Amino acid sequence: MTTSTAAPKAAAPATPAGSPPTVRRKRSRLGRTPAAHYWMVVPALVLFFVLHTVPVIVGVFFSFTDYAGYGVWDFVGLRNYGALFQDDRVIEAYGFTFGVAIACTVLVNVIALGIALALNARIKFQALFRGIFFVPYVLSILVVGYVFQYIFANSLPQLLNGIPVFRDNILANPDWAWTAIVFLTVWQGVAFSTILYLAGLQTIPQELYEASSIDGASKRRQFASITFPLIGAFFTINMVLAMKTYLQVFDQIIPLTNGGPGTSTESITLLIFRGGFQGGEYAYQTANAVIYLIVIILVSIFQFKVLSRREAEF
Amino acid sequence: MAISTQGATTARAALPRTRRSRSGIGEDSRRVNWWLTALIAVLSLTVLIPLYFAIVTALKTPDQLAGTGFELPAPVDLQNFADAWNLTDFPRTLANTAFITAGAVVLTLLTNSLVSYAVARNMHKPFFKGVYFYVLTALFVPFPIIMLPVVKETAVLGLDNQAGLILLYTVYGLSLNVFIYVAFIRSIPIELEEAARTDGAGTWRVFWRVVFPLLGPMNATVGILTCVWAWNDFLLPLVVLSDPAARTLPLAQYIFQGQFNTDYTTAFASYLMAMAPLLLVYVFAQRWVISGVMRGSIK
Amino acid sequence: MTMPRPFRRAATAVMATVLIGGVLSGCAGSGGDGEVVTLDFFQFKPEAVQDFADIIDDFEAENPDIRVVQNAVPDADTAIRTLLVKDKVPDVLTLNGSGNFGRLAQAGVFHDFTGDPLVDEQNPAVLEILDALGTYEGEEINGLGMANNADGIIYNKQIFAEQGLTVPTTWDELIAVCEKLEAAGIPAFYGTLTDAWTAIPAWNALGGQLQPEDFFDRMREEGGDVGPDAEVSFSKDYPEAMDKLQQLYSFAQDDYRSRGYEDGNLAFANGESAMYLQGIWTINPILANNPDIELGVFPYPAGDDPADVRLTSGVDVAVTIGRTTPHLEEARRFVEYLLSPEVVDAFVESQVMFSTLADAAPNPNPVLAELVPYFEEGRLIGFIDHQIPPSIPLQPIVQEFLLGGSPEAALRELDNEWRKVALRTTVRE
Repeated sequence: MTTSTAAPKAAAPATPAGSPPTVRRKRSRLGRTPAAHYWMVVPALVLFFVLHTVPVIVGVFFSFTDYAGYGVWDFVGLRNYGALFQDDRVIEAYGFTFGVAIACTVLVNVIALGIALALNARIKFQALFRGIFFVPYVLSILVVGYVFQYIFANSLPQLLNGIPVFRDNILANPDWAWTAIVFLTVWQGVAFSTILYLAGLQTIPQELYEASSIDGASKRRQFASITFPLIGAFFTINMVLAMKTYLQVFDQIIPLTNGGPGTSTESITLLIFRGGFQGGEYAYQTANAVIYLIVIILVSIFQFKVLSRREAEF
Repeated sequence: MAISTQGATTARAALPRTRRSRSGIGEDSRRVNWWLTALIAVLSLTVLIPLYFAIVTALKTPDQLAGTGFELPAPVDLQNFADAWNLTDFPRTLANTAFITAGAVVLTLLTNSLVSYAVARNMHKPFFKGVYFYVLTALFVPFPIIMLPVVKETAVLGLDNQAGLILLYTVYGLSLNVFIYVAFIRSIPIELEEAARTDGAGTWRVFWRVVFPLLGPMNATVGILTCVWAWNDFLLPLVVLSDPAARTLPLAQYIFQGQFNTDYTTAFASYLMAMAPLLLVYVFAQRWVISGVMRGSIK
Repeated sequence: MTMPRPFRRAATAVMATVLIGGVLSGCAGSGGDGEVVTLDFFQFKPEAVQDFADIIDDFEAENPDIRVVQNAVPDADTAIRTLLVKDKVPDVLTLNGSGNFGRLAQAGVFHDFTGDPLVDEQNPAVLEILDALGTYEGEEINGLGMANNADGIIYNKQIFAEQGLTVPTTWDELIAVCEKLEAAGIPAFYGTLTDAWTAIPAWNALGGQLQPEDFFDRMREEGGDVGPDAEVSFSKDYPEAMDKLQQLYSFAQDDYRSRGYEDGNLAFANGESAMYLQGIWTINPILANNPDIELGVFPYPAGDDPADVRLTSGVDVAVTIGRTTPHLEEARRFVEYLLSPEVVDAFVESQVMFSTLADAAPNPNPVLAELVPYFEEGRLIGFIDHQIPPSIPLQPIVQEFLLGGSPEAALRELDNEWRKVALRTTVRE
């Protein structure tokens, strides 16, 4: 979000005296917005408002009631929010979700960056490998999850029967089941991030490396002083988007553990879905979702702040 | 996904540079790194092994399931596919999914590019800048908040069907797509449009004749993202669609899972059948897909 | 365009409709005569899809003016709630007679059968179970039973005969049977704890028999005060049930933690354990894996006196009508057909269930023979988990306990969840 603010400044330059006439003409042209531009935006804007913003408002509204989704309801003020902060099940779900999201974000970015660097190096069958690593992106995580569920429950116990955690089906282990969820998430997430990093790497002119090689810079130094700074923006955006996505982990849990064993792999999204629909506490869980929205926004802003500052330091 | 820090001018310059770094003289001078090739080959197995596993399991008879599951099927059993075909009502669910996906992609390309164009060309106006950030914030709204109200609203509006889903994908996709398009459109020199306008073309005509064709690479990116999303989405069809005849492939998988218990081989056949269409498209359009996504991310 | 052409076309269409309508009248679901009413039939039981398809065919043949469309759904609780949110209550529904059914009835979305002659044909015990789940304003009859289930221990008759075992009627006898099997190297039970719900049938049967009188009524009265100092609580009144449940699982096969329901059905069908802690709904899936297996079912003996044994039973398939259906007359005709003695008898025979009708003949299936007396003598109790609000994660808590947790911690958690839910729920009378 904040990165894009740089663009408007660059594109609509403040025109000091002496700037070329073409620029001035462009500016004047830009100044008059044709009515058609409004027509291009307004219908979509209305639809967006009706189909997205209105539901958000309705959702927030009902979080102050005891609505079950149907039937009668009353206002209950902040009761749902008060109860939320005393609900240890909710707090545990936050703990689990943050743990998984941080682990996935770090692992996906580290692995994807590594694979992207390797794919960008001079290796054989480059295009083939690139094609293979991108495959998980086009597959449905629900369906892939069913395949992995079977592998974890039936194949690994036999293949790795020397390792107790795998022998006894890792999905049935309250202490380790989360690693299976991280594994599946990373398995799929790496595909897209790799391509993004690869795209970033290819924007770096080869000449920079050649110049630094002549200066005798080591590979590590090249990475630290050329590669990483130049793909810094990609890193920031990847981290923020990954964290935001993995905080909403849901599709991979359904086929693997369905929140179990016990409630050890219950993510916030799963808790909201389950408690709100199956448990009939729609209003209460919507209050949970509102808090969750605020948390996601705060985390994203925090990330942008920290990562952008780091980017600038290079 | 899209990066715009570079600003319009540098972003434009990135394209030719990319080409140079990939096939430039500097690249050829490097020697093939065989160690790295081997490492990457081993790593790629993590992707290939589960796929191999799904395929061999789908080809087995139930009594071949014993063992680790990685053994090759002997004899090969194709009956699973016939069973899964019938049980998941495959032709119909496939047609539903294809219809929704195609509809979402086409409508998204036609409308989201239009919105982005108007926004990109008027970023200096508070209204359009406001629109840009307003739409963008939706990226951070978790789906559970809006789930139930959306279900209610689509039912009231008569949109609890395939057409409704197409509309929802188009509208919800706006957040990310505007982000991608706007950065690219700002890199298109405005002189092209002005030339068309001096020839007497109106704003709409300028967009469809001049700008839209130039958006080719971004259309590819947005099209791929929308296609993969709509094809594989599970939760939205689950709650929005009312008519069982409108079910999509992921939904059919979910239902199948509940209906047939120990029938693992048939289940795997149906998993494969659900994954196959998009996978096949990808195998044939692989280069194009990857370059599409990459281009989208450079902008 | 000239006038005559569309006119002629319209005339042809009308003629064709009349002709086709005339030819097809008497055929089911032609739709040509415009008189056919289509009923939307929500059906929750995946294993009964074919049975209902056959029933619908017969019904449509007899009632050419009604077409019934079966909507078989996964995850029925979520599906029905989604439909309610959409304000699209189906015309006719089957639902499991669970706590969820009661909640929906209380919300006033189901038809009131009070005064309907169909009510008089129901077994009074069945009506009581449904009534206890909850009804609109506490006085309506919002659903009728079609099939009743029973929660009992399924056993492999062949293994029992080979080991010289008899069906236990007290807790000590049950443990003695388990010990003999253990000595013979046969797992007494096949545990499937990967699927959390599979621990609940045994929990229901043990807890339901061992809890004090009116336990849940008193729990509801206490509401937000449930805790260590309360008069009744899970911590105070459930340790025995938890200990006994844990004891049963100590006789399960080694990998009971990592197996699922489907694995269990297959393994038990192949004779890998002597008993199975499930209910009669599992008989068909077992037979599907091995049609030749000889099965029997006995109620969970929780105490010391055979005379105290109670069979846990619930309404497996409840039938009801959407309150606002525009086709009430047709919907009622379909329900009447569903609940006619021939249809119910055929259905419960196919599904291996018990009839819910007052003067039904016992299910002739020999597998159920040992349970019939409990129905005839009325020695039944309901499922206690239906009394627990669905927002309490009962299944995960029990599962976690059996995976290696302590009974105290599990019961404390149940009390805590009960307290929290009571505090945040509006009580409406």
